[in-house]
Amino acid sequence: MNVEDEVFDITIIGGGPVGLFTAFYAGLRQARVKVIESLPQLGGQLSALYPEKYIYDVAGFPKITGQKLIDNLTEQMNQFNPVVALDEGVEKLEKQLDGIFKITTNSAEHFSKTIIITAGNGAFNPRKLGLETADKFEGKNLHYFVSDMQKFAGKKVQLFGGGDSAVDWALMLEPIADEVTLIHRRDKFRAHEHSVELLKNSKVKVMTPYVPLEFIGEDHIEHVILEHVKGEGTKSTEVDDVIVNYGFISSLGSIKDWGLEIEKNSIVVNSKMETNIAGIYAAGDICTYGGKVKLIATGFGEAPTAVSNAKVYIDPSSKVQAPHSTSVMGESEDKIVSVSL
Amino acid sequence: MTKYTIVDQDTCIACGACSGVAPEIYDHTDDGISYVTIDQNEGMVEVPAELHDDLEDAYEGCPSDSIKISDEPFHGNALKFSEAM
Repeated sequence: MNVEDEVFDITIIGGGPVGLFTAFYAGLRQARVKVIESLPQLGGQLSALYPEKYIYDVAGFPKITGQKLIDNLTEQMNQFNPVVALDEGVEKLEKQLDGIFKITTNSAEHFSKTIIITAGNGAFNPRKLGLETADKFEGKNLHYFVSDMQKFAGKKVQLFGGGDSAVDWALMLEPIADEVTLIHRRDKFRAHEHSVELLKNSKVKVMTPYVPLEFIGEDHIEHVILEHVKGEGTKSTEVDDVIVNYGFISSLGSIKDWGLEIEKNSIVVNSKMETNIAGIYAAGDICTYGGKVKLIATGFGEAPTAVSNAKVYIDPSSKVQAPHSTSVMGESEDKIVSVSL
Repeated sequence: MTKYTIVDQDTCIACGACSGVAPEIYDHTDDGISYVTIDQNEGMVEVPAELHDDLEDAYEGCPSDSIKISDEPFHGNALKFSEAM
């Protein structure tokens, strides 16, 4: 059987903190797990919006940065080798006659006995340029996300944006690319002072206050026309690649059309984390019930509830209450110490 | 140019991006939801011209499009100038 046709026990929609913990817990309960994430990276809101900010209300961590929490959760999840499908936005959901769910994304089809939706505030997508001439270059040399820096080796790169990640990307690309120009519509950058200082001392060319007006080229962008925000005319610049970093925007998108009971952009669940569709569960910020508190901490609690009940849905003879992980994982510090001596 | 702003608190996801870039316009309540400080989120008081750049940063940086800007007052209704939902 092809991996593409494999029917998974639990498919998790949304690779944010709650999705990752759900995947771990489903692995612990010996379920075959797949995670579908709309961005090319895991981490959801934490990685997209505040990777460097400290979070103070995760049990067991006096404080931890968003990205470190995601790195830890990923490591924890990977103990069970789940399949992770990145850069796939969910579109259609269908319950087949055999009770198996078919999830269609923008690039693939996935099959699963149950679904746990941990999509937070919806799928994050990069905020696009509002330029008519931009769309046709997407996927060519107009990029909204950088996943492989080496692609820009020796290239003339123009980067648009004024936030932390725009500045960070410019600094990371500087030693790789032939030339990096950072363009922002105002003179002030809204990035960490330290990063702005590094920027000043780098070879990155900074052009402010400019905005892109037009992209010129047949198949690829060859020239970018930049417009001075305060009316000092336009400039034509030659480029190999254009990267836009205008942040992210979230939306619930097609999940709204799946027949789930939705209240104020959240999916209504009961105390088992069941939605109104048998076999579909929700956890984390996307779900709602009487007394719901939207925090990572509460989402972490909802995850095992959703998984355990999904497990019983798949196999009615299994138990909702799982044995403690101390028994299941079967390893202790003592053992490790005695082996290493 | 006159500008008014309001936060749509039904869609705000409490990420703190707006108060980070425009602390003189936005702050957040105890549960993290943002509001406009200059008029308690009524959208009735003009945003001072010197804060217009910050205003635009907050508008562009909001991941849920909850920051609304208009050249007319909102009278407490964040969706006053939005298309019908």
